[in-house]
Amino acid sequence: MRDSERAISIKHLTKFYGKLQALDNISLEIKRGDFFAFLGPNGAGKTTTINVLTGLSNFQKGEAKAFGYNTVSEYTRTRRLIGLCAQEFNFDPFLTIHQLLVYQAGYFGIPPREASQRTDELLERFQLIEKRNVKHRALSGGMKKRLLICRALIHDPEILILDEPTAGCDLELKFLIWDHLTQLNNEGKTIFLTTHYMEEAEKLCKTIGIINHGRIVRIGNKQEVLRDKSLEAVFLEVTGQE
Amino acid sequence: MINNPIGVLALSKREIVRFLSVASQTIFPPLIASVLFMYIFGVAIGARIDFSSTGLSYLGFIVPGLMTMHLISTCYENTTSSLFIARWHNHIQEVLLSPLSYFEMVLGLLAGGVARGIIVCVGVYIVALFFTPLPIMHPFLLAFFILTIAVIFSCGGMMGALWAEDFGMLSLWSIYIIIPLVMMGGVFHPMTMLPDIVRHISKFNPMHYLVDGMRYSVTGVSDSSILVCALISLTLALGTFFATVYMFRIGYKLRT
Repeated sequence: MRDSERAISIKHLTKFYGKLQALDNISLEIKRGDFFAFLGPNGAGKTTTINVLTGLSNFQKGEAKAFGYNTVSEYTRTRRLIGLCAQEFNFDPFLTIHQLLVYQAGYFGIPPREASQRTDELLERFQLIEKRNVKHRALSGGMKKRLLICRALIHDPEILILDEPTAGCDLELKFLIWDHLTQLNNEGKTIFLTTHYMEEAEKLCKTIGIINHGRIVRIGNKQEVLRDKSLEAVFLEVTGQE
Repeated sequence: MINNPIGVLALSKREIVRFLSVASQTIFPPLIASVLFMYIFGVAIGARIDFSSTGLSYLGFIVPGLMTMHLISTCYENTTSSLFIARWHNHIQEVLLSPLSYFEMVLGLLAGGVARGIIVCVGVYIVALFFTPLPIMHPFLLAFFILTIAVIFSCGGMMGALWAEDFGMLSLWSIYIIIPLVMMGGVFHPMTMLPDIVRHISKFNPMHYLVDGMRYSVTGVSDSSILVCALISLTLALGTFFATVYMFRIGYKLRT
């Protein structure tokens, strides 16, 4: 597989928090345009893997690459390729949501006029345009979720990483986010999604990986992983959960 | 070294707009404090002090010291509070996830502290002109000292913000180290007024050279060699800047 076709490549990644091993020699590859679900129980290593990919965590061994660029030695390149929709609402509390996205675009080298235009387009697309001049505290939980996605998309990244984007969402919002993600994937974006909702992974994703105790215990395209079973059954089987 | 100038400008703008939007808390308090210092120490008490040996009035002597003191404290406070709050709310991730290099991140975050320090420092000088005529003897040298001191303490503030675990730890460096050293560095007194032993110890206080450099730039009078003052100021500015870049590079309390 050429590097232009290999969106994410992780090899022998090992990560410790003190004495606790969070990732144990994991390796995985995700193709350009894939919709990858990364599943696992709480504390299995999903968010740690994301943090390593995005440069928010150091690690002890192995390597991570985005489109062939090393996430450590070529971090200024890989960060342009990746957009992260984090789990928590970590917005600057002093800025309106429009300012917040314009500044974020600025950090990615997008000139102010283009940044403002792109911000309005995203706010329109995610139905937040009427809130453009309020601070994030004034938004509902669902709106904040959508704002997280807007922020991740502001620089039009090739890879979109979402850490439990629908956790705590009502059905309407969940379906709305699913529609947006499907559309983004159809537009060619590679999507890396973590979730605890099996039906979400089963419905949206083309490839599935399951991690448990820092080790990848199952990975492959959806058909290979499921083998005529439900995802929930496979998940319980490989993670040893009741 | 700067590959993403728009990114650096965006981060700088955010940092500058942040303190300008609350000018009543960030700009005016040091100016009000300066007026009080100048009136009480310079006018009310200073008029009774015989200061003829220095060739300056007491008020003329303390103004460069006050400029330095407020320059130091505002630069430090600005970057400390901005970066620590960003860590506390975790919106520092907005910067950490961006393609800014660590050098560029520090440069952008530095801009707020430096800009605020310069505004306050110039403001203190303008306020002083209401009390005493005080022409600047060496304007380019003054610009050099203001810039290097602003860099030293803006970077110091960032290091303090990275080191601190909670709001209580945030001001420890300022209260127990920086303010005492600045006060003992000659803001209100010439070194010749001190007992011999204290004067010798003060030679190891870097703040003394910063205050003295500022004083020479404004008044043309100093205790120490101006070359030594300039070298110390430049060395500290470069040292703190690259130390801060290093802390970002290794992700000190920024990456897990």
